[in-house]
Amino acid sequence: MRFRRKYLAIFLLPSFALIAVFYLLPVLLTLLISFTDMDYSFQWNWVGLKNYVQMVSDPIAGKVFNNTLFYVFSTLTLFNVGAALLISLITVHIPERVGQGYRALWLLPRITPSTVYALLWLWAVRQDPTALFNWIIGFFGMEPVNWLHKYPWPIVILVNGFVGASFGMIIFTAALKSIPIDYIRAARVDGASTLQIIRHIELPLIKWPLMFVTAYQTLSLLTSYEYILLVTNGGPGYYTTEVWALYSYHLAFAQYGGIVKFGYGAALATVLVILGLILSIIYWRVFRLRELMIEPKIEV
Amino acid sequence: MRRRGASKPITVFVALVIGILIGAVIGYALSPKAPAVAPSAAPSADLGKLKAENEQLKAKVEELKKKLASAGAKEITIKIWTIGPDPPSEYRLKNFQIAADMLNKWLAALGSEVRVKIDGQFFVRPVEWGEYKNKFYLAYKSGKAPDIYLTGHEDVGFLAANGYIIPLDDYIKEYWDVVYYDVIPTLWEAVKYQGKIWGVPQDTEARPIYFRKDVLKKLGWSDEEIAQLPEKVKRGEFTLKDLLEVAKQAVDKGLVERGILHRVKEGYDYFQFYLAYGGRLWDPKSGKMVFTKSAWRKTLQWFHDAVWKYKVISPTQFSGDWDKDFHGPFTQGKALFLSGGTWHKGEWVSKGLLTNEEFNQNVGYMLHPAGEPGKKPVTLSHPLIYTITKQAQERGVADVAFLLITLVTDPHLNANHAVQSSHLAILYSEISDSRYRKEPFLADVAYMLDYTTFIPNHPKWGDYSRIVFNVLRGVESGDLTPDQAFNELLNGIKGLGSDAVIIED
Repeated sequence: MRFRRKYLAIFLLPSFALIAVFYLLPVLLTLLISFTDMDYSFQWNWVGLKNYVQMVSDPIAGKVFNNTLFYVFSTLTLFNVGAALLISLITVHIPERVGQGYRALWLLPRITPSTVYALLWLWAVRQDPTALFNWIIGFFGMEPVNWLHKYPWPIVILVNGFVGASFGMIIFTAALKSIPIDYIRAARVDGASTLQIIRHIELPLIKWPLMFVTAYQTLSLLTSYEYILLVTNGGPGYYTTEVWALYSYHLAFAQYGGIVKFGYGAALATVLVILGLILSIIYWRVFRLRELMIEPKIEV
Repeated sequence: MRRRGASKPITVFVALVIGILIGAVIGYALSPKAPAVAPSAAPSADLGKLKAENEQLKAKVEELKKKLASAGAKEITIKIWTIGPDPPSEYRLKNFQIAADMLNKWLAALGSEVRVKIDGQFFVRPVEWGEYKNKFYLAYKSGKAPDIYLTGHEDVGFLAANGYIIPLDDYIKEYWDVVYYDVIPTLWEAVKYQGKIWGVPQDTEARPIYFRKDVLKKLGWSDEEIAQLPEKVKRGEFTLKDLLEVAKQAVDKGLVERGILHRVKEGYDYFQFYLAYGGRLWDPKSGKMVFTKSAWRKTLQWFHDAVWKYKVISPTQFSGDWDKDFHGPFTQGKALFLSGGTWHKGEWVSKGLLTNEEFNQNVGYMLHPAGEPGKKPVTLSHPLIYTITKQAQERGVADVAFLLITLVTDPHLNANHAVQSSHLAILYSEISDSRYRKEPFLADVAYMLDYTTFIPNHPKWGDYSRIVFNVLRGVESGDLTPDQAFNELLNGIKGLGSDAVIIED
């Protein structure tokens, strides 16, 4: 037994070291910096909970928090889970080659470098009559629109959703394909329609992947800001599309005059870490994800 | 069938390679040649003075040579960081290369084997100021800071207080008669912090409002009226409200697509409107920044009216693109006014958007008009400065770095920069430089410096600027009414603390 434990420890050490250096240490550092008023002087001036008190009275933080909830909920339901599920269901019910091709198309946004992808979107939604969106509505005799200015949230959600949908799509497709074909055949013999098969057989059987993707993507969206930074940079108006992670980034790294607030930015980031932990626990309990992890009760 | 299919990609590939080669050849042929930097003849009256300055410099080089020889150095590398971000400002770095060549020739002539080498970087867009400064601080912390660092004067307080740069008073005293006596005195004020001098002025500028003469003509203005406009602005007879009225007329008549353009990203230009309404930025007595409530109310109302009442500024200006929403429409005559900087003239000419003739014929420039009758027209200056880092001192190269700064603080070399990038002279003798004199634009805008304000040398200036920018973006996009915007602005500024900002009515 001792012998086994020793080997376990040796084999686990590299991964523990990686987790400690790349996950735990940054969280610890962020937490420590959040108790300072650190800027480019890199001084550890301890200010206690000052940054957190400031956050509570910061009216912008309130707006940004609401933005974040809206962004996460909309992108998650419409794309990262919703569209992903829809694409998977459609593509497994159509001829395999067509389905595969269609899924491959949805992978394009994910494999395109993010700056290139964002730039393509910026071109597509520009105000020029020749920009893609305006070119299309031009066929219906409509006037060109500055899409980013008029519909900032739908664009932000589309930009993120097109990338985010592919993750769920892959997982759901794999799960759907692993459902034994006998179940489907039996249902067909019993006269079930495709919709009934989806509703009563496929969806219940991919319950775990669905819950896993929901949980994972919530946490992922909560901390994502890359595409918003590239497309609207939090605008076009008064913190219109500024989300929590972007606000933290702006304060900590991206001020025009080069004056930065590592302390306050770190406090904002710490809130995200705490929020992520709380949500993880809630998902763990509500979705009973533990059951997903334990060994199966019977051997199949 | 297969052979035909296979030959097609080869043909495409060959065509592609030929295309690239042709493109490369055309690109090489069309690429602008570096302007020759031939020393211009000095007026004979100044010859004696120049000789004396030269002798002093030679003595300094001789001294340096001995010092270096005793230290056993063979090659000294000076690391220099500079930024445009506008490409025509490249002489901020290029001048160091010219100076180093000169210095090396002197060292050779004096029989020294020591040579000075420049390891320089000149950052241009897409690298903006914020990113440039970030790079510096991180490089410094990892022990890789440049020896000479070009930055905006407003950073002096922060850099000095945190030990990033060294005071230069002793050096400047030592080299005073060589060149520093000649620096326009107000610029020294911009580089002072706690009574010491921390940088050497590199350039300065004014921020005019450019206007299209051809559009005003089409509006029915006579040549004389157009020529008189800058004077009327100077006398306070043409106000910011008039600016809106004229812009509206031009838009309503379909002469232009946009009435007024301003920068598309964060910057300090917007503060000129606040200053024009009588706002104060800085209280010299207490050293604090100032928030003048009445001026900010009027400024926010002006921006709101410009977008939503007069419809002369686009509500999307802040999410615009430099080329498509700023340089392009103005240089093509699709916009009447542009709130810009003197350096934009240099940028337009060097980018080929306007020739000098087109600029002189169709573009005029004036101060930012007074907000209302009785107030003064304004502009804003942001002198850039060369600083020497503490790490340069630790490496023992601060002496050489300062000698190089002294060599580039030269009327002829600085005129290279001023003329190419449309920045203003920092030395009195530069104004009479033959190249500088050939550029009437620079002489024409020189009077603006009488109306200028520097931005505050305050560590929280960046916060002030950010809050203003976000609120203005909210007003223009229609997210905030002027009243809401004022409250947001006031709350934000209050958050900076009463030890940083004085709030006055």
